[in-house]
Amino acid sequence: MSALITAGNLRKQYGKQAALDGVSFTVESGRIVGLIGPNGSGKTTTLKAILGLTQFQGELSVLGMDPRQQREALMNEVCFIADVAILPRWLKVKDAIDFVEGVHPRFNRAKAEKYIANTKLTPNMKVKAMSKGMVVQLHLALVMAIDAKLLVLDEPTLGLDILYRKQFYQNLLEDYFDENKTILITTHQIEEVEHILTDLLFIENGKISLAATMDEVSERFTEVMVEPQFVAAANALQPLSQRTVFGKPVMLFDGANREQLSNFGELRTPSVADLFVATMKGSYA
Amino acid sequence: MKTMKWLLKREMWENKGMLLWTPIVIAGAVITLIFTGLIFGKVEHMQLYGQPISVTIEGTARMKIAEAMAELYVTAGMPILMILGLLVFFYCLNALHDERRDRSLLFWKSLPVSDTTTVLSKLVTAVVVAPLITLAVAVAVGLLVVLAACVFLLLHGTNMFGALLSTPQLYLTPLRLVGVLPVYILWALPTVGWLLMVSSMARSKVFLWAVGTPIISTLLLVWAQKMLHFSLDSLWFASHISARILLGVVPGSWIGFERPVLDLTSNERSLAVSKLIFDASWSTLGSPSVWIGAAAGVAMIAIAIYMRRRREEV
Repeated sequence: MSALITAGNLRKQYGKQAALDGVSFTVESGRIVGLIGPNGSGKTTTLKAILGLTQFQGELSVLGMDPRQQREALMNEVCFIADVAILPRWLKVKDAIDFVEGVHPRFNRAKAEKYIANTKLTPNMKVKAMSKGMVVQLHLALVMAIDAKLLVLDEPTLGLDILYRKQFYQNLLEDYFDENKTILITTHQIEEVEHILTDLLFIENGKISLAATMDEVSERFTEVMVEPQFVAAANALQPLSQRTVFGKPVMLFDGANREQLSNFGELRTPSVADLFVATMKGSYA
Repeated sequence: MKTMKWLLKREMWENKGMLLWTPIVIAGAVITLIFTGLIFGKVEHMQLYGQPISVTIEGTARMKIAEAMAELYVTAGMPILMILGLLVFFYCLNALHDERRDRSLLFWKSLPVSDTTTVLSKLVTAVVVAPLITLAVAVAVGLLVVLAACVFLLLHGTNMFGALLSTPQLYLTPLRLVGVLPVYILWALPTVGWLLMVSSMARSKVFLWAVGTPIISTLLLVWAQKMLHFSLDSLWFASHISARILLGVVPGSWIGFERPVLDLTSNERSLAVSKLIFDASWSTLGSPSVWIGAAAGVAMIAIAIYMRRRREEV
């Protein structure tokens, strides 16, 4: 497998504030990668760099192209849905389909229409008359009809109710994703995407703090529900974090020996959300 | 080419209210005014010795009148052509700013369309599509009015239809107006380029930047000239820079900038106004100032393209 995205030492300043402070990572093709980080950690800036929507320093290759120089060519292969709806308010459903069909060589009109038929969208409806959920449905219909290699999602379900959110990820997995496609997604609703991710990238203060596959994550990190008598012994192994559930301390360990840990109590694989909280706890301090 | 077609359609979808409906609404107002004048005017009640006036026009006079009507009917559409300048001005001002303000820039840029093609589609909308729509509406109004005038004359005993329809001027006049379009484009380029450039750069208050910059510069120069006795020609700056980048989109601006000789003698006393305008307009292209302005306009459009690539949403 070759790397679809290779980023080396990306840097970007907004005034004196560094948005990207030496970001490096690779994304292999056929993966669903979650780029997770607190607010202001550089997630959106990283995505915009990949899409050629912002200037930056450093090395970046997306599908073998430099997004700064070759945005138009790159967009033949890359699709993008952003946090808040970015479709213009005056756009009608049918015009949106006509337009994307007109300018995009890889657009499959039938697919888009089939998807829209399953929603409440009508051809003459304008974006300004739609609810937030419907706008995202329209955008998803346009994007799913494009045979692209990389789909970039920046908080795609922000502000949507739970029905739209579930449906969004279901459509994405069932109707869109296959081994030839790669999805790069940022979101704060970690619980909702955790089961679909294959890879995890944690970003903190403009730096990548963790890059691993989900398999590696479950191998490396272990949560133990420590029995009271072993608390001191467990603490000696320097857990990443400690919280209390039903009166028992739950400790998160990075790279500790599982056999040794299993003596202390029940072992669990930590959720991404717990891992996130544990590794990012210093980031607002 | 196909992409350009869709980009132009896109501009029409977004700006239909401005580019299509504004001229049509004004056309409606013009027609209403003229028809009200015809119907409720006092003309019906003009009487001579207790009899309604009946007019019979024959011979040379008839030909002359038909010719005059065929030449001048487009003037009924003049109010519509007058607002073309405003339409193009505000269209260009918003062309590259609105998409950054409403963040739809992110959507447009997620499609395989280059910044150059996008900016050029906005240029073509401003200097070709908008003028052609306005011109078509203006000519349609003129035709309606001249036909109404013929009906009116018919009610008073003179049938002008045949004479009018067989006058070649009737058909040549709109063609000559379209023939002036290249001249319009060249003179509009500095203004269109300036507005697109400001639109692509300003983070907010586009109008203030676009209009304030040349006016304040001019005032500063006047002040420097009067108070500090700098050897500057602020009048030259006002007429050659400020006026050219603000007023170039007004149809006929070149008559004001260049003051071409309107040769009334060579027309053998016919009323070929449109030919006069056509010749005078094209004659302004002989002066270097139009070409210098056009080159400056092209340079500013190039900057707008560069800025479209770099600027992010606001």
